[in-house]
Amino acid sequence: MTSRRSQAGERGTGGAPLPKGPNSDARADARERDTSPSLAVVAGDAISPPQRPEPAPWWAPASEIRRAVRPGGDRAPFGFVPLAVVAVVFLTLPLVALLARAPWRSLPGDLTAPGVLTALRLSLVCSVGALCLSLVFGVPLAWLLARVRFRGRNLVRALVLLPMVLPPVVGGVALLLAFGRQGIAGQWLDRLFGITLPFSTAGAMLAETFVAMPFLVITVEAGIRAMDRRYEDAAATLGAGRWRTFRLVTLPLIAPALLAGGALCWARALGEFGATITFAGNLPGTTQTMPLAVYLALQNNVDAAITLSLVMLAISLAVLVGLRSHWFPSR
Amino acid sequence: MSLDASISLRKGTLELDVALTVGSSGVVVLLGPNAAGKTTLLRALAGLVPLERGRVELDGVVLEDTAAGVRVPTEQRPVGVVFQDYLLFPHMTALENVAFGLRSRGAGRAAAREHALAMLDRMGLADLAAAKPKALSGGQAQRVALARALATEPRLLLLDEPLSAMDAGARAELRRGLTRHLAAYDGTCLVITHDPIEAMTLGDQLVVLEKGRVVQAGSPAELSSHPRSRYVADMLGLNLYRGRAEGRSVALSGGRRLVAADPMPEDGDVFAVIPPRAVALHRILPEGSPRNVWKGVVEDLDIVGNHVRAHVSGELPIIAEVTPGAVASMHLDDGGSVYVAVKAVEIEVYEA
Repeated sequence: MTSRRSQAGERGTGGAPLPKGPNSDARADARERDTSPSLAVVAGDAISPPQRPEPAPWWAPASEIRRAVRPGGDRAPFGFVPLAVVAVVFLTLPLVALLARAPWRSLPGDLTAPGVLTALRLSLVCSVGALCLSLVFGVPLAWLLARVRFRGRNLVRALVLLPMVLPPVVGGVALLLAFGRQGIAGQWLDRLFGITLPFSTAGAMLAETFVAMPFLVITVEAGIRAMDRRYEDAAATLGAGRWRTFRLVTLPLIAPALLAGGALCWARALGEFGATITFAGNLPGTTQTMPLAVYLALQNNVDAAITLSLVMLAISLAVLVGLRSHWFPSR
Repeated sequence: MSLDASISLRKGTLELDVALTVGSSGVVVLLGPNAAGKTTLLRALAGLVPLERGRVELDGVVLEDTAAGVRVPTEQRPVGVVFQDYLLFPHMTALENVAFGLRSRGAGRAAAREHALAMLDRMGLADLAAAKPKALSGGQAQRVALARALATEPRLLLLDEPLSAMDAGARAELRRGLTRHLAAYDGTCLVITHDPIEAMTLGDQLVVLEKGRVVQAGSPAELSSHPRSRYVADMLGLNLYRGRAEGRSVALSGGRRLVAADPMPEDGDVFAVIPPRAVALHRILPEGSPRNVWKGVVEDLDIVGNHVRAHVSGELPIIAEVTPGAVASMHLDDGGSVYVAVKAVEIEVYEA
């Protein structure tokens, strides 16, 4: 009866599992007592079956993660506090420098400069496009990886995750060899449909999708593995076919994972530099996204580079704030 | 108008092999210990687990037949299920939960809502139509789940431990409510439970499942008078022994004999049942008529209502029901050896 839940407990890809709730041991006892039909059970009412607490996955809403954290906090091992302080300083100092050196006075003018707006618009178009492509192709892939046992599933998963660890420049080179005009797929696209991807906006979108989609796939796969599949069984007994079940039951239930994966994917696409510049080049208005514009501006106009960086920082912060309920356990 | 199923499948260490015929009148309760295969059987009937071998026929329609290669998918079976923890869709309101099945089976939005509201109203939940499952109490959630399962007018209704998520206080009342709703249902109804009280009160027929096999089936009265397995006897609180009939006595393994008053059915394997209240305990060897006397040691005492059940070990382990006064006067709580005495007339013997 509980096999499905224990299966769900095995999910591995979702990061470090948090400790179980404080009641788990007492509940396990209750379960053991429940298994032996004793006279005490005959006399009174049977003990209700325990609900096993699941460790919250990393993308779970903060309210669930909070439950798993000890109220008072643990005492840190010796030396951890100064090391952690160094880490925090190291991570925040560059951002502080960015804000400190920002040319606040000329900012309004720099922001509305035609090049900046063009790069910003292009960045948004490409990153949202990459997110849409990742959703359309990545969610079905995540579902298959989570649900269907097939030969070579682990190989497929490894291949899907490879772009996450691959240096983006290498990804760009590989994309050129595949979809470039002379590439193994690109020459057919060119000859049959007249489609040329390199040095086009579509190419930039493709490069960003290549790098960002794995973030969506692993997050959504973990979400699908973690959900209680018996809800889908319930939907089937109510006459819902597979597509209706997926649309009306599975998708809403994995919404937190979908949101977290989508945000990660989109943020990664927005910041993509290496694969884009290698595969799509650096053409203003066509493939020059914000990160590329920042890099180029740094060569001759540091203030403009800082301004562009501030814009991207603001966008990143907006994403964090928007998803804070998912990532920040509040007091 | 009935369910006719023979189901054979393997799942993990469980080997389920069950033949089941259920008429459309009354409620059949499937009873058994944990891991007996009750839920797996229910899932097989609903089409959620494929059969290895077997056949499921409902009201003359074949839902599954491995020999003929027939298998109707779950969503096309006229089967309603109330799952163990109800599994109400957490992102939908009570009304949407009940309307879900109607919409899935092709009803229009307005018609589905209207029907769902009527179902909730019948369960006394009309004012909770807009509530999310999280806001419902256990009893309310159970009724929503029942309304959801009944809304599509299934020919077979399956309930998996419908009361197990309730606390003991609310259970008796919910059981009465459930009995009333099930009595109004005209299809075939199968309820799973591991709780004997639930089984006895809900069921017109009981089927006892152990380790994937049906060990006994019959009315509650038949089961309680003639239990045929350790599990059934334990849950009814009866002492059950199996042995060979020899004349007027039952020879048990280990050499012990029980002498009964009634003549034996005939020589062969028999069960002997001794109600705990018929077992007397003595500190000294009793005089007089009891034909069955042996020595034992009181291992454990349970208080059941206003009686005490003494678990006596020894050559023939047995449970005796004694009064608290007897416990005090004989110092049974100190352990030590006692004489167990059972009158021959109190032992009922029937064929195994």
